[in-house]
Amino acid sequence: MDEEPERAKRWEGGYERTWEVLKEDEFGSLKATVEEILFQSKRKRALESHGQVRLGMMRHLYVVIDSSRTMEDMDLRPNRLKATLKLMEAFVEEYFDQNPISQVGLITTKNKRAEKLTELAGNPKKHLAALKKARDAACVGEPSLYNSLNLAMQTLKHMPGHTSREIVVIFSSLTTCDPANIYELIKTLKSLKIRVSVIGLSAEVRVCTVLTRETGGTYHVCLDESHFKELLMFHVKPPPANAQSECSLIRMGFPQHTIASVCDQDSKPSFSMSHLDSTSEVGLSLGGYFCPQCHAKHTELPVECKICGLTLVSAPHLARSFHHLFPLEAFRETPLEELPADRFCHACQGKLKDKMVFTCPFCSGVFCTECDLFIHDSLHCCPSCINSQHSN
Amino acid sequence: MKLNIEGLLVYFPYDYIYPEQYSYMLELKRTLDAKGHGVLEMPSGTGKTISLLSLILAYQKTYPLEITKLIYCSRTVPEIEKVVEELRKLIEFHSKETGEVNNFLALALSSRKNLCIHPEVSALRFGKEVDGKCHTLTASYIRAQRHSDPSLPSCRFYEEFDAIGRQLPLPPGVYNLDDLKEFGQKKGWCPYFLARQAILHANIVVYSYHYLLDPKIADLVSKELTKKAVVVFDEAHNIDNVCIDSMSVNITRRTLDRCTSNVETLQTTIQKIKETDANKLKEEYRRLVEGLKEANVARVTDVYLGNPVLPAEVLQEAVPGSIRTAEHFVGFLKRFLEYLKSRLRVHHVVQESAPQFLKDIFQKVCIDRKPLRFCAERLRSLLRTLEISDLTDFSAITLISNFATLVSTYSQGFTIIIEPFEDRTPSIANPVLHFSCMDPSIAIKPVFERFQSVIITSGTLSPLDIYPKILDFRPVTVASFTMTLARTCLCPLIVGRGNDQVALSSKFETREDFAVIRNYGNLLLDMSGVVPDGIVAFFTSYMYMENIVASWYEQGILENIQRNKLIFIETPDAAETSMALEKYQEACENGRGAILLSVARGKVSEGIDFVHHFGRAVIMFGVPYVYTQSRILKARLEYLRDQFQIRENDFLTFDAMRHAAQCVGRVIRGKTDYGLMIFADKRYARADKRGKLPRWIQEHISDGSLNLTVDETVQLSKHFLRQMAQPFRQEDQLGLSLLTIEQLESEEMLKKISQMAHQA
Repeated sequence: MDEEPERAKRWEGGYERTWEVLKEDEFGSLKATVEEILFQSKRKRALESHGQVRLGMMRHLYVVIDSSRTMEDMDLRPNRLKATLKLMEAFVEEYFDQNPISQVGLITTKNKRAEKLTELAGNPKKHLAALKKARDAACVGEPSLYNSLNLAMQTLKHMPGHTSREIVVIFSSLTTCDPANIYELIKTLKSLKIRVSVIGLSAEVRVCTVLTRETGGTYHVCLDESHFKELLMFHVKPPPANAQSECSLIRMGFPQHTIASVCDQDSKPSFSMSHLDSTSEVGLSLGGYFCPQCHAKHTELPVECKICGLTLVSAPHLARSFHHLFPLEAFRETPLEELPADRFCHACQGKLKDKMVFTCPFCSGVFCTECDLFIHDSLHCCPSCINSQHSN
Repeated sequence: MKLNIEGLLVYFPYDYIYPEQYSYMLELKRTLDAKGHGVLEMPSGTGKTISLLSLILAYQKTYPLEITKLIYCSRTVPEIEKVVEELRKLIEFHSKETGEVNNFLALALSSRKNLCIHPEVSALRFGKEVDGKCHTLTASYIRAQRHSDPSLPSCRFYEEFDAIGRQLPLPPGVYNLDDLKEFGQKKGWCPYFLARQAILHANIVVYSYHYLLDPKIADLVSKELTKKAVVVFDEAHNIDNVCIDSMSVNITRRTLDRCTSNVETLQTTIQKIKETDANKLKEEYRRLVEGLKEANVARVTDVYLGNPVLPAEVLQEAVPGSIRTAEHFVGFLKRFLEYLKSRLRVHHVVQESAPQFLKDIFQKVCIDRKPLRFCAERLRSLLRTLEISDLTDFSAITLISNFATLVSTYSQGFTIIIEPFEDRTPSIANPVLHFSCMDPSIAIKPVFERFQSVIITSGTLSPLDIYPKILDFRPVTVASFTMTLARTCLCPLIVGRGNDQVALSSKFETREDFAVIRNYGNLLLDMSGVVPDGIVAFFTSYMYMENIVASWYEQGILENIQRNKLIFIETPDAAETSMALEKYQEACENGRGAILLSVARGKVSEGIDFVHHFGRAVIMFGVPYVYTQSRILKARLEYLRDQFQIRENDFLTFDAMRHAAQCVGRVIRGKTDYGLMIFADKRYARADKRGKLPRWIQEHISDGSLNLTVDETVQLSKHFLRQMAQPFRQEDQLGLSLLTIEQLESEEMLKKISQMAHQA
């Protein structure tokens, strides 16, 4: 886990945090610390996601970012807003990396109002630019959970039934200023099958608990930056699809990237469709992706064709979503004592020290806790299995 | 699951058990084995009720000759209902497991107001009205009169019950108040009288404290309950006050005025009867000469529960001649009233003992001690003879006669204080005669003497040794259990200083100090920024709260707080408070967040639970000492010192700390709940205060959190709240604070539990 070095750094950081570290040591072995429970739940999360469930691969996600007064609190470095926006940038990139055929939109809420930072779109660039710009915005007033959910709902309810509709709220305030009864809105959200998840930055708020429980989302409160990141990255993975959600075939175009060199006489520079709405960079280019249906030119994938509305993706994009559907199976947890003499992790080659070790059910490779997490979170395939395939 | 508690097979209706429940049952069983009394403390939300019920039920089933009845006393109707529901679950589980048909009768009993099904009577709003109306319909002589005059109104439910219901016992089962009503409707019987009769042969009775402790009611309801019973007083941390209240009498001018009119009514009635039916009075006279033999025989043969208002000597003798005839007695009452009136005319405070009072009354109006002692009994007899139906009108004169009997019976344990005006309004004359009981053991003595085992239990009984002292009994077990927790879900913090290092305290000298008030305000302001949903703040008194809130308003602190949360305030008015409470809960529910400002010893601190989001933090501003200038309290303290060797300070601290514990205990109502407990007074850090908190709170106060500043408190709270917001499931508790039967029976766990018991 990468938490240890982080912690040490913070220990040096400020006087008010020193006791945090001390406090946990004090409990001794009698009481299970929250840390331990957390670790268990992390394992569980890895376990839960396995198994054959239908996943909502085409996602429409609105992220609501609280920009109220409380975001100026300095308990996340340098303050809550900056920390959130920084993590959000990472999130957006990661999100499109893992969900190439999904879309995201950003909403901020402050001063009892909610406004859209960006519309739902499949292109990370715009979002990243908007996030950069938002850094300078002031944090004022109270957030309105109702208004932001309502705003997101207005767009999401028109999304086709086979896609998953999600809202993730990053909620720093402990209060919300609502113009109407939020419980009515929760009912509506539920009926529209919109999943709302909340990441709290300060403490557990009742209305969020109800909101997430009713709509089938998750509710977590972050302990520190690294935990916050973990919680946010959890939303990168597509959620299980609703059992009642529709199934339908989707038309998709796989445009070929035509590369034309300047020296080629036949090639003519042309405008691409993505330049239509961006005023800043006007540019002609030679190559690009041409929609197989209407031959409109696009510079980037994935995108929805501006002319005919066809979803344009490339094959690697789809392949990247693949591992969600066929995830690596969970490793068996066994106590260290049962292992024969050779006690080395097959991945990092380190000596196994933890009480528990993890065994791959196929190749019986043995891994330490950290490697187990790494394999399941990032690699998505067992290195030992692949190794044996190669040798065969 | 089935448990083996030292050889006793106990059916426990849940699949999991907390370790402390097991230890609790163990201690309880030992108490029952020894046929003695017990004092047991266990935190609320750890399943005290079900442990009690399952063990005693099992005991009753296994040794039916040892214990025949369980009398479970609780405080309020909702609590009674909760107990009955637990009981229902238990008995269902029991019959399912054993396959036997249930032969147990368990029922709840409450006042007529809650049980009446008569369409007109039950529509009345106040308990007293319902009682009075019921009486006019069902009193024996009214019904006798109806034989000659059928046009008189009657209650068909009572008539039906009297005709048929008395012979047929209530079938076995569990009855809560609604069940009784339903049963009554179906059969057409009066549920109240049905229940009153059924408790005599029921196996388990659940009712309010007053049915046992208040001599007036106990005499009617609980007199004939069997000796081989276990009596449980739940939530008993205030039992001494209940005892004292039930024995104390306050007399104002209004009481006396009503008495005068009562006496007049008596006189005219006597006159009337004399003209029509002189025989009746003669008959009564004859009865009185014979004395109260019947009652005496009953008590000697041990049929009845003793009654402190009916002293034993009275039973031996005949009613003295001077009050035997009705006219003489009325004259006697008149004289007594005049005397009391003259006493109320004083301009300065008088405090005297019962013998002094008796001496004075003898000198002034020649009233002897002996007739006074018979006053209550004589009045009862007279009212019966005169066939006065609506007894509520005579509550004033009954009160006075009770006072007369008590004052002449007990030379110790009572004091008489006459105050010409209230302390707060020294200019308005409002004379009150307090006949105040100082010894709670007087009221509860018959209970301890009569019943085999009496269990006193609550979430907050610390320090445990003081209860046996002030209630004057010898317990065989005294134990305090803690909460075993998978995560530390309570966080007691003692805030001793403001950010400017000014000591925080509500003590008298610094009460008006601007800096202290401002720091208290800052504490609340900062907490309102970090605690989600509901915060409950307790002040030591209404006056103190008013002062502080006014001062916060001037300093603009209130306005800042309102940016974070709404503010609600408890007032002495019950309707207003319940309204505030309702709105408070609404604000907590929909994410607005709220603060409830209330008062220790108030309604909120005693009976309202703030589960989960309704109370994430409780702040105790100051130490809730009682108003020490009160003369009644002073007299009581003196008495405690002389009689029980309890120092004034010890008792005051004990009393303050039990109320503080009650207040902060409001937020933790179970193991999945969590909450901050903030003690905002530097005096809490002292060992004598801290040591008097219940063990389950004490063990979570670390040395580091004894004298915090406001800033440190906020940081600690933030951290705590984040930790607690992490997902928490049942599996996390299993094996640590929640056990299956296998885990419980493992060697290791048994060892651990016995270790815990040793610590206690």
